[in-house]
Amino acid sequence: MYPDLDMTQTKKIALLGNPNSGKSSLFNQLTGLRQKVGNFPGVTVERKSGYAKLKEDTEVLIVDLPGTYSLYPTSADERIAVNALLDKGNKDYPDLIIYIADVTNLERHLLLLTQVVDLGFPLLVALNMNDVAEEQHLQCDAIKLSEELNLEVVKINGRTGAGLEVLKEKISQLLSQDQWERVSDFYTLIPQEQMIVEEVRHLLPTRNDYHALLLVHHLSWLGFLTEDEKQNIQNIRDKHAFHPINNQLDEIMNRYKKFSPILPRILNRSYTTAKTLTDKVDAVLTHKIIGPFIFFMLMFFVFQAIFSWSALPMDYIDESFAMLSVSLQRALPVNLFTRLLTEGLIPGISGILVFVPQITILFLLITLLEEVGYMSRAVFMFDSIMQKFGLNGRSIVSLISGGACAIPAIMSTRTISNWKERLTTIMVTPLISCSARIPVFAILIGFVMPSYKIGFFNAQGLVFMGLYLFGVVAALTAAFVFKKVLKTEEYSFLMLELPEYRQPHWKNVFYTVYDKVRSFVFGAGKIILIISLILWFLASFGPPKMMKMASDVATIESSLLHYDAQQTALYVASKKLEFSYAGYAGRFIEPVIKPLGFDWKIGIALITSFAAREVFVGTISTLYSIGRDADNLTIRQKLQQEKNNEGKPVFTSAVSLSLILFYLLAMQCMSTLATVYRETRSWKWPAIQFVYMTGAAYLVSLLVYQLLK
Amino acid sequence: MSTPKNITHLNIGEHAFIAAFSNGFIACKLMAMGLLPGSEIILVRKAPFGGACYIRAKQHYVVLRNKEAEHVILDSEVSK
Repeated sequence: MYPDLDMTQTKKIALLGNPNSGKSSLFNQLTGLRQKVGNFPGVTVERKSGYAKLKEDTEVLIVDLPGTYSLYPTSADERIAVNALLDKGNKDYPDLIIYIADVTNLERHLLLLTQVVDLGFPLLVALNMNDVAEEQHLQCDAIKLSEELNLEVVKINGRTGAGLEVLKEKISQLLSQDQWERVSDFYTLIPQEQMIVEEVRHLLPTRNDYHALLLVHHLSWLGFLTEDEKQNIQNIRDKHAFHPINNQLDEIMNRYKKFSPILPRILNRSYTTAKTLTDKVDAVLTHKIIGPFIFFMLMFFVFQAIFSWSALPMDYIDESFAMLSVSLQRALPVNLFTRLLTEGLIPGISGILVFVPQITILFLLITLLEEVGYMSRAVFMFDSIMQKFGLNGRSIVSLISGGACAIPAIMSTRTISNWKERLTTIMVTPLISCSARIPVFAILIGFVMPSYKIGFFNAQGLVFMGLYLFGVVAALTAAFVFKKVLKTEEYSFLMLELPEYRQPHWKNVFYTVYDKVRSFVFGAGKIILIISLILWFLASFGPPKMMKMASDVATIESSLLHYDAQQTALYVASKKLEFSYAGYAGRFIEPVIKPLGFDWKIGIALITSFAAREVFVGTISTLYSIGRDADNLTIRQKLQQEKNNEGKPVFTSAVSLSLILFYLLAMQCMSTLATVYRETRSWKWPAIQFVYMTGAAYLVSLLVYQLLK
Repeated sequence: MSTPKNITHLNIGEHAFIAAFSNGFIACKLMAMGLLPGSEIILVRKAPFGGACYIRAKQHYVVLRNKEAEHVILDSEVSK
């Protein structure tokens, strides 16, 4: 059978499996760089999809569904996967499922498999982790398994890509069949369920009995059911005294009873009791004393690495763009376009690219910790401490990733099933210093702490570390307050699997880091660039009458003061900036920020930073390069030379520290607020977050400046 | 009669078999993760700051809070 040529509908294939089954590796193998990371509709759970070529002329869309242990989800991300399989109208409702099962843990992996088979989806099994099994002398008879399950079973290796061709072949075969004839027979509904299901199937269209049963179980959170439908199903539940947990328990037991006897027939033995590498490594890494110590050393190393490894490439990027600006200014005629290019666009782009080294290093190290399996050990070690602050052990993953960017960190809270703990994590995560604050700190830190070495350590690196610690303390303090304020009766649990330690899969690491950096450059970068350009405009233009008057008055004043041509030009430019649109805005808020030690120019940077913190550098470089003879001074040097009306440096250590702390605490990121809105589905929480963080920033900066000035 | 033995009563390194669960929700979650009545488990470690247990069952490693571990009733040998 040839695929119908008129058929424009690409077939959708979902990857499904338990967490840690190697789904992501297989996904990367199938799609390569042709993958797209977006969000599942309505929630910010990361949705990875991509095209894969099966044969010359057949392309399929692969969707990587979040890992789940069963079709009875206990967290937001597991619900996504289940929802996609239950809602026929869902954009990820698959035509076929590739079920990834880990050979070394086959028994458990069969539970979800039998559930999905009973749901009636065309399906084939990809048997993964054969290399690990081999190391453990575990043999699995795939042919026998295929016979026992009455399903196609393909041995693959998600890391090397072995078995992929066979897998694709089988997918093509299955897709070309019109009918999926595999009978759903792993679980027989008990009489009570049978009666309920019969009534439900009269009410709404369902795939089969098991599909209807799952709707009955999950009706409270299924978004695609109407309120009427929910009410009707609820009535049926009540009528039959349906007890979800009891039924679920019986179902799981019955499934295990059905498929567990298969296992001895296909595996040469059940499992190994010998101490594995994981046992040995964990004896150290989760040790009572050594464990937490290593954790803090690792964090310390991460932040030292960000600071020291990135210095060279950052200087290089900074200087290259400064030189580019200068040479273009010399080469091009003096007109508005040249100014836009050299004072607006190029500094703007430079302000984006200069972060790339730090973001890359941070994401690389965090991804590595995640990939080898270390993160869940941190969850285990710190759960009880986190609980004291109203958080969950899993919050630590969010807090650490918050060191890269609050947005993916907030997304990662989806694994926390308790709403209060999840909300608290969301609310405090942006207090952890993200990579967008790094450039602000990096520029200002020099005014607070000169650069020298203390023994092995970089002094500025230590201050940097101190700032991060301050962010952590602030986050925990805020969490403690939320713990006292928020009330919930909801059950909180941990029950977490620790994956076995594995060598990082470099391809996975590469794709993750590549994706994050790319989305920074093109996502956040776009905002930064636009804001830099708007800013350049606002700083270059003002109400024409006022601009002219400012220029005229400045010219007259200069001649009275016997300024030379260069001094006059500078004076005129600074007066013009003062009466530009940006100048108006800055001076408008100056009375409010004066007690913190900030002048109106910093005021402008603060205003634009509310879009995104990283805009600070772009803003400052735009503001201070206007009206200057082009020279190749970097931003730092320019700031150092900046004097106020009394001829004293603007960026004293008091002002710089006050500014650093303001950036550390204030909520200055529209994208984060938007993410919080999507996660909490209410503007209430982002509003509270904005007010409490910015309020705290104001108070702390006020205190610091007034004490130090 | 003392209360039935649960995971929190184990010493580090001690083996036991899961006999039953005394909470339906915890039972469903742990069974989906592969911990079944009859499974042999070993207490590997307790959390550095307390509050949680790290157990190994067959080929997998699971951590649970003490208040969850209390619902996993143990037996010193396989019953059934």
